[in-house]
Amino acid sequence: MGESLQKGLDTSGLAYVVTGAGSGINLAITRALLAAGCTVAAWDVKAGALAAEKSARLHFTAIDVRDKAAMVKAADESATRCGGIAGLVAGAGVMVHAPFLEISEADFDRTLAINLKGPMLTVQAVLPHLRAAGKGSIVMFASMLARYAGLNAGDYIASKGGVLGLARTLALELAETGIRVNTVSPMVIDTPMPQAVYSRERMEARGKSSPMGRLGTVDDVAAGVLFLLSDDASFVTGQDLRVNGGERLF
Amino acid sequence: MNVLITGGGSGIGAATAKRLADRHVVVIADRNKAAADAVAAEIVSAGGKAIAVEVDVSSAVSVKAMMEAIPGVARPLGGLFNNAGINIRQPIDEITELGWDAVVNTHVKGVLLVSQAVLPEMLAAKRGVVVNTASDYSIIGAPGLGAYCAAKAAVYSLTKVMAMEFTSRGIRVNAVGPGPIDTPMLRAGRAPAEAEARLEMHKAKIPMKRMGRPEEVAAVVDFLLSERASYIAGQIIHPNGGLVMW
Repeated sequence: MGESLQKGLDTSGLAYVVTGAGSGINLAITRALLAAGCTVAAWDVKAGALAAEKSARLHFTAIDVRDKAAMVKAADESATRCGGIAGLVAGAGVMVHAPFLEISEADFDRTLAINLKGPMLTVQAVLPHLRAAGKGSIVMFASMLARYAGLNAGDYIASKGGVLGLARTLALELAETGIRVNTVSPMVIDTPMPQAVYSRERMEARGKSSPMGRLGTVDDVAAGVLFLLSDDASFVTGQDLRVNGGERLF
Repeated sequence: MNVLITGGGSGIGAATAKRLADRHVVVIADRNKAAADAVAAEIVSAGGKAIAVEVDVSSAVSVKAMMEAIPGVARPLGGLFNNAGINIRQPIDEITELGWDAVVNTHVKGVLLVSQAVLPEMLAAKRGVVVNTASDYSIIGAPGLGAYCAAKAAVYSLTKVMAMEFTSRGIRVNAVGPGPIDTPMLRAGRAPAEAEARLEMHKAKIPMKRMGRPEEVAAVVDFLLSERASYIAGQIIHPNGGLVMW
């Protein structure tokens, strides 16, 4: 990354907790943090591609963000092992691809539990350690769809709209503590989530029609998240960083 | 990269010039040439590369002269930080045409004129990056700041149009939207005690309960100018301590 490698991150060994770290954007964030010299407490239900990552600064815990007790335990363990926690990326998320009237109650509940209640519970588990440090940065994932909507993703869009409200409230509540809270809103990023729904041809066409002529990559988003985690964003809180290739402006 | 910074002689512009100078050649443009010279001298004495030029961004003649004054060692320009700005404080019913023109022409016409002058170099290179200084006041209003709010909202609008017109041609355009930052502009025209009272009033309203520093805005500008913001275009990032969230 050279010139573009983010500075102002903790490299003293404090942990950055990343949920959903086994795949997609969160996997890229985990790798970018490791490349920047940071220590990562990576949480996900499955290790996925992280199983092949060889780094003494990577600590994986199998965890479901709906399980607060497990997260409290994991956060305490990370803080003890690493001397504290520097930041949190509450990235775990799911999406059900279905028209509005076909979204089942069970699917809706599951999406809201993981995408919206999940970040809330994760923050509750991690926050005591950030408070103890007297500083820290929390990043949650909203979505451009939270502002523009889109077809066949009512559960996902509802959850992401909720994340915007949750993050701003938390930003206000924590503003005087030295702990910052922001969101990132990606446009369509080339990850397993859209890949599960759209054909490769449709994804490529989508990218070609965008102002930058390409889809967003996981590295594009990771760079934005690392900026928000870093001291470069020391006066940035309650904001939504839209990494969308210039596609949706308002 | 060669980066032109307007309003580079003080405040946010000067802080950004100093931050960028460890990797970039910075061209510091200001209507106050002595101020630009001082910032450039500080950078050069610290081992960086900086050039000072004089400009009134609201004047096409002056912008043309500025471009002619920027030497070959700082060409082509790959980065542009449209940051020059002034302020007047008058309620709407008391705003003079002179004051309005000064504020709007500096902020809005200034972005247009300087961008029109620099963009051909970027288009020829098929790459470039522009950051415009917008404001929290691009989004919200403030009593007594009608000209400033109108100008900053217009700067954000121009940012979006520039992004739509130039992103597909390899040029990223974004805005930084600072909240209350402790700069000479904020203190200008106020007695020290009055300025301090103003700062305290701002602090009480800011969720972080402190003013921002120019260096904290410079860090955001640096991010937007860098490859770290490779997929960000047409956006506004607010270093504002949580004052405006949207």
